[in-house]
Amino acid sequence: MLFWIAAALLTIGASLAVLLPLAGRGALPSAEPGHDLEVYRDQLGEIERETARGLIGPAEADQARTEIARRMIRADRQRRRTGEAGWGRGARALCAASVLAVPLVSWGLYGWLGSPDLPSQPLSARLETNPADSTIEELVARAEAHLAANPSDGRGWDVLAPIYLRLGRFPEAVTAFSNAIRFEGSTAQRQTGLGEAIAGAAGGVVTAESRAAFERALTLQPDTPAASFYLATALAQEGRIEEAVVSWQGMLSSLPPDSPWRGAAEQAIAEGRRNSAVAATEPGPDRQDVEAAAGMSDSDRNAMIENMVTGLDQKLRKNPHDLEGWFRLVRSYVVLGRTQEARDAVRRATEALGEKSEAAGKLAAFSGALGISAVD
Amino acid sequence: MMVETGHFALVLAFALSLVQSVVPLAGARFGNQRMMAVGGPVAITGLALTALAFAALTVSYARSDFSVANVWENSHSLKPLLFKITGTWGNHEGSMLLWVLILTFFGALVAAFGNNLPATLKANVLAVQGWIGAAFLLFILATSNPFARLVPAPMEGRDLNPILQDIGLAIHPPLLYLGYVGFSVCFSFAVAALIDGRIDAAWARWARPWTLAAWSFLTGGIAMGSYWAYYELGWGGFWFWDPVENASFMPWLAGTALLHSAIVMERRAALKIWTLLLAILTFSLSLLGTFLVRSGVLTSVHAFASDPTRGVFILAILSLFIGGSLTLFAVRAQSLGAGGLFHPVSREGALVLNNLFLTTATATVLLGTLYPLIVEAFSADRISVGAPFFNLTFGPLMVPLLVIVPFGPLLAWKRGDLLAVAQRLWAAFALAILAMLAVLLFVDRLAVLAALGIGLGVWLIFGALTDLALKAGVGHAPARVLPSRLAGLPRSVFGTTLAHLGLGVTTLGIVGALSFGSESILAMKPGESTSVSGVTLRFERLEPVKGPNYTENRAVFSVRDTDGDVFAEIESSKRFYPVRQMPTTEAGIGTFMFSQLYVSLGDETPDGEVVVRIWWKPLVTLIWLGALVMMTGGAVSLCDRRLRIGAPSRRQRRPATAADAVVP
Repeated sequence: MLFWIAAALLTIGASLAVLLPLAGRGALPSAEPGHDLEVYRDQLGEIERETARGLIGPAEADQARTEIARRMIRADRQRRRTGEAGWGRGARALCAASVLAVPLVSWGLYGWLGSPDLPSQPLSARLETNPADSTIEELVARAEAHLAANPSDGRGWDVLAPIYLRLGRFPEAVTAFSNAIRFEGSTAQRQTGLGEAIAGAAGGVVTAESRAAFERALTLQPDTPAASFYLATALAQEGRIEEAVVSWQGMLSSLPPDSPWRGAAEQAIAEGRRNSAVAATEPGPDRQDVEAAAGMSDSDRNAMIENMVTGLDQKLRKNPHDLEGWFRLVRSYVVLGRTQEARDAVRRATEALGEKSEAAGKLAAFSGALGISAVD
Repeated sequence: MMVETGHFALVLAFALSLVQSVVPLAGARFGNQRMMAVGGPVAITGLALTALAFAALTVSYARSDFSVANVWENSHSLKPLLFKITGTWGNHEGSMLLWVLILTFFGALVAAFGNNLPATLKANVLAVQGWIGAAFLLFILATSNPFARLVPAPMEGRDLNPILQDIGLAIHPPLLYLGYVGFSVCFSFAVAALIDGRIDAAWARWARPWTLAAWSFLTGGIAMGSYWAYYELGWGGFWFWDPVENASFMPWLAGTALLHSAIVMERRAALKIWTLLLAILTFSLSLLGTFLVRSGVLTSVHAFASDPTRGVFILAILSLFIGGSLTLFAVRAQSLGAGGLFHPVSREGALVLNNLFLTTATATVLLGTLYPLIVEAFSADRISVGAPFFNLTFGPLMVPLLVIVPFGPLLAWKRGDLLAVAQRLWAAFALAILAMLAVLLFVDRLAVLAALGIGLGVWLIFGALTDLALKAGVGHAPARVLPSRLAGLPRSVFGTTLAHLGLGVTTLGIVGALSFGSESILAMKPGESTSVSGVTLRFERLEPVKGPNYTENRAVFSVRDTDGDVFAEIESSKRFYPVRQMPTTEAGIGTFMFSQLYVSLGDETPDGEVVVRIWWKPLVTLIWLGALVMMTGGAVSLCDRRLRIGAPSRRQRRPATAADAVVP
């Protein structure tokens, strides 16, 4: 409501700025004086002064005076007078239109662009509202504001840290857990949270730093399933899948039957076995590549994968008798969703290996299982 | 309420600018005084409304109102209040709003103080200002609305580009825009004169204060930007020939030419058409500068502003105004009539020479700036034109100009005596030669070019002082009247002297920093020392510091003399802003007289050493001090001009106004 009153007042003010001069209020600009003549008169005075100071000689002064006089005569001849106000029909229509244009253009344009119902929302006012009405983001912001003022409030950090982790704000979670540990002491729970946050910030890769946190958690409290789970994941990420599976199995045997980590461990074991089976047959990217990929952005990682696939493709064009290679290439294309190229690869492989050969048969079976056939 | 009121005020300002574009112009055409009178109140109300909008945005920034998209994109609740406020114009939308605010400010100034202008001229000037205002307000509302809202409002903003979180942002853009946009008034005066089809000697008087004001602001803005880049980017350079720097430099060169040609026009009624063209070109170059920065067509350190979609809109504005005004110029210029004649060796002749050099220099910079664009448009190549091009072309153009600067003010109008002037300048010349010899004998026997540069600076400084001394009557008036004669000189004489002297000071700074500086890069551990140009720099310690919205690694160095006594301390640091995930360098600078020791931190090596870049920059501060002197010259001259614009009005006819006109 207040806004509409303000808008109306502003509009009235702006319209008056147009209307009043047209309606005859305010001083009229005076009729045009001979400005040129004034300037030239000044210049004449100046010549007198310069002559008096001895800056120019009398002859030159005379010459200058003549020239200025000539200009004065010309200027006088050119003086035009503006006639009395011309109020033709066009002028009247234009004035009416311009007075109307102010409210019409402004209200029309604002109606299209503005959001009159949205109040201003200064941060401090938003932080003062009742916590029960707040969204989780507002609660977090409130806690942040509190912690910015009292950065050594360890309990505050302790409360905020898991929320950050849940919201996926990993870098903040790292800071919050570190601060909680610094002010409230190291516990297995906080160290585990720190480890998870670091891994989250690294895009899910359990880095050395994160591993150290989990290890500290386990020293503090040996049965910390989350820490054990992530340490096993770290092993798997390094390509030591068998060792990872062994430690997940160790977890399974020691976990109580109702532990939520059972399911996670079982799933990880199943996946680990599958991967290790594949890994056994495929020389995949080496550990260095995997580590490099972990630090990359998504687009960089994709570019790296693309590179590897293209490299393999090139290699197989030169040496098409590598059945293992064909398996990998077809599978890669299927994983990347490039079925057309997968099909093409199967066709090229079949040509190279011989239509009826045993190897071609194996490839056909393999690609069939992936939903690809050379014929289609 | 606040935000939306600001938004509404901006829309209303646009509506008023439409009225301002049309009604006074029609009034001038019909000879209708009432319609012409609309221009003034509308321009002043337009300023009030734009200021209200700007204030609303600034308050939203200060209060971290993240329901405003622009605030959310460019602010953070933990930023210090000063940077919250300056952040208002540290982004595209806000800076365009500042641009328009300053435009309406100048429009209102013309409306408020232009009472002695002929009514038609004033009406036309205000209408042209209205066109520019309408175009830019439409641009803001259509493509870059700072009042766009966010629902639901986020709780935290994305922070401002850390490089911009500096006191420089509080000063550089407002000054620069005051300069850029100030030239819009000259442009409006030129276009108004063309519309009217008539130009007189008084025109130059009215247009010149605006030129002076804009030129002074632009000088300050460019100098401030240069110093900011110098200490913030950590490269130790003060001018990079970066496209955006060039964009601000071109209007400065053209504006300097305009300033000088307007003198000829006012005093001798000559160069009328040329002055009009310069006024149009200067503002066109300002618009081009805005276009280059805002459209992002040229990548540069000012990358915060890049957004190609807006470029098309600005390009349209640009073609409309530049093309339109030049067409008008082509149609009307012939009808304006030629001015007085003069001998080639005369004050006019010197000023024409000045204009030739300055416009050629402007064209050179323009070519160097746009050449990569042209190449890219017609081929697939991407090239960049760097410092070598400008050093080879711009430098040789400037040297002869600087050499003739002291002659100009000493030459008489209409027909001058070069020999007599040269005789009067013998003292300045002797001092310049002495300075050169001193450099060659005491500093470096092989630095011939540098010595010539220093000589040039000294020549400019003492040439300017010679002019002042002669005008005061040294040599032909008794010594006891000299002080009173000096005090009696018009302010514009002091303005000229200061501006030319400032040029010399800047020249000294540039030559000193480029020729006699030293640079070293080394890896240092805390506790280690190195010697730089006669002093010892000791790396005392490296300490982590926590700022409000950044973390900082601060290296503290002590500067010791040969006995090992500490006489200065330099802090240099690297900051990291977590919200933007960006590092910045904060160069450590120790100032000793006019020279500076510049220390910038690089990366840390694995074994605990820090890469440190150390520059010794002799006389470097003179570069900016000289600019300040030039700016002061402009301001002093402007004080005088204010009296002089009053001259043609009825009540202010007094002897002083005539005396002021002795020397421009």
